Amino acid sequence: MMQKIYDWIDERVDITPLWRDIADHEVPEHVNPAHHFSAFVYCFGGLTFFVTVIQILSGMFLTMYYVPDIENAWKSVYYLQTEVAHGQIVRGMHHWGASVVIVMLFLHTLRVFFQGAYKKPRELNWMVGVSIFFIMLALGLTGYLLPWDNKAYFATQVTLNIAGDLPYIGDFAKTLLAGDPEIVGAQTLTRFFAIHVFFLPAALFALMGAHFILIRKQGISGPL
Amino acid sequence: MSEKKKQVSRRQFLNYTLTGVGGFMAAGMLAPMVRFAIDPVLQTRERGGFSAVVDVDELTNEPQRFDWQIDQVDAWYESKVTRSAWVYKKEDGTIMALSPICTHLGCVVSWQGNDDYPDQFYCPCHGGRYTKEGVNIPNTPPPAPLALYEQKEEEGTLFLGKAIPREGA
Amino acid sequence: MKKGKGMQFVGDSRITANKQKFIPKDYSEYPGKTEAFWPNFLLKEWLVGAVFLVGFLSLTMAHPAPLEKMADPTDAAYIPLPDWYFLFLYQLLKYQFASGPYFIMGAVVIPGLAFGGLFLAPFLDNGTKRRPFHRPIATSLMLLGLVSVIWLTWEAAEHVDWEVRAEQNKPVLEEAVEIDKEDPGYEVYSSQACINCHGDNLQGGAAAPSLIGIDRSAEEIMDIAKNGTGSMPAGQFEGSDEELQQLAEFIVSANKEE
Repeated sequence: MMQKIYDWIDERVDITPLWRDIADHEVPEHVNPAHHFSAFVYCFGGLTFFVTVIQILSGMFLTMYYVPDIENAWKSVYYLQTEVAHGQIVRGMHHWGASVVIVMLFLHTLRVFFQGAYKKPRELNWMVGVSIFFIMLALGLTGYLLPWDNKAYFATQVTLNIAGDLPYIGDFAKTLLAGDPEIVGAQTLTRFFAIHVFFLPAALFALMGAHFILIRKQGISGPL
Repeated sequence: MSEKKKQVSRRQFLNYTLTGVGGFMAAGMLAPMVRFAIDPVLQTRERGGFSAVVDVDELTNEPQRFDWQIDQVDAWYESKVTRSAWVYKKEDGTIMALSPICTHLGCVVSWQGNDDYPDQFYCPCHGGRYTKEGVNIPNTPPPAPLALYEQKEEEGTLFLGKAIPREGA
Repeated sequence: MKKGKGMQFVGDSRITANKQKFIPKDYSEYPGKTEAFWPNFLLKEWLVGAVFLVGFLSLTMAHPAPLEKMADPTDAAYIPLPDWYFLFLYQLLKYQFASGPYFIMGAVVIPGLAFGGLFLAPFLDNGTKRRPFHRPIATSLMLLGLVSVIWLTWEAAEHVDWEVRAEQNKPVLEEAVEIDKEDPGYEVYSSQACINCHGDNLQGGAAAPSLIGIDRSAEEIMDIAKNGTGSMPAGQFEGSDEELQQLAEFIVSANKEE
């Protein structure tokens, strides 16, 4: 049955090459920890992706309870963490995942850097990767405010003050981010929420797609 | 060929293991999240308490509308919600406390709400009608009688609880 | 022709008329022991992933995600702190060469150079050599950056007493604590100066902390009411000893209720 459905679709849109290209490509010896244990350094990219998947899923589920509103944000987080079954774990996954993903990205970046894997022809993919790093940091920064507790509020206030002290664009940047030139409050929270769950993930998906397509196109860098 | 079929090739074995490990990862990741998401379905709610509504002495044979407030806890949001009931005493002294919510589409019915139909509950939205017992009158839109409140009487005061829906007539 | 102008299509669509069988690529480039991505290599990756997931889930169960008190913009005593991966920037802005008139240095120039350099690394280090020892400038700059980030993070984290911080900022759900305003202690609380700073529900205010969620004995509270502590001046309490006792017992009882 499944085979027939597959064949029916494949006959029309020719999907086989899409997954065969991914499934059948040969993985060279030098990245395989079974042959050289030191090749475990090649795991960090994959683990980054895995944690990103965890982040996306747990984030989706958290928004079932969370409200981005200064009156209720903290209460809803407190509620989902203390009253809802497994709320502590799901929020814990999102919270600790944010840290772990930075660690993994960091290690992945170091691996690529010290192996000189960013050299021609992979310059473009390196820049895409560094952009992903920046997006992740921005996700961490915006997500930090969302529980609306003291540490979130005061850390964001400092961040916004730093943005406000920038030359020329300072006031503009601060108002754009905070929604108000003076107050860190209702509009700041909704803006950070929108940036955290819509704008940055959209950019992240696009960049990750580009990252993976480039890896498949160019193959993994050869052994040192 | 048929003998070969029974043997599991290395590739098949790896495929099965891969599916197993993948399943384990997906389950480990999703199990807490799914349980988290379906929590409202599984939560056992306390049966709502009773609220004092009116002195039994005030009740007559004619349905009267009484309003009272209950504390509603909606996760992190607590609020006061107004409930109302049409209450009267039957001939035999038992008390009827009917929910005013029309069983058709949820409008609010009122006693003798239409001059054409005295001694009936009338719903202005689609002309639904109920008898004094709250039973829907055939050939009007409502599919079921008005819900009946759980009730108890203590020291001359009527307490009402939740509205229990009744089967269609 | 498979590609180019001679390509044949079904009708007007983009689907080629003669479907080509998938031909695996030639991997003679890598003569070593290669293996197929699916299922051989992916299985190894997923085994690592599964072990990682178990460790990660254990972490989330052992350490609940921290949540502090609800944001209180009037809490002047709070010392802000960013998440750990921004601590190095936070620390950088403390130094003289990166703050005050040189703020631009710390906020824009130094991070800009570091991250800009990272972004453009392939063009700055454009030789063909890949081994770290064959490109000493790139390697040493990266090591320098690495050491400074780790050192700055360490410097910032060292000055924070994490346990005290976590203890002070434990979340309190306001509704959980009910203040018994009939208590004779509350009478004392509101007739003395306490209520002016600590609020009518012991919730604290701009000048004073909340009296809920504190861990002090009645004796300590009596001492503080008379002699002050921190920014609270001495001599705030001017009642009798009996009233003082009532006040202290009231505050202790308000903290016990839950």
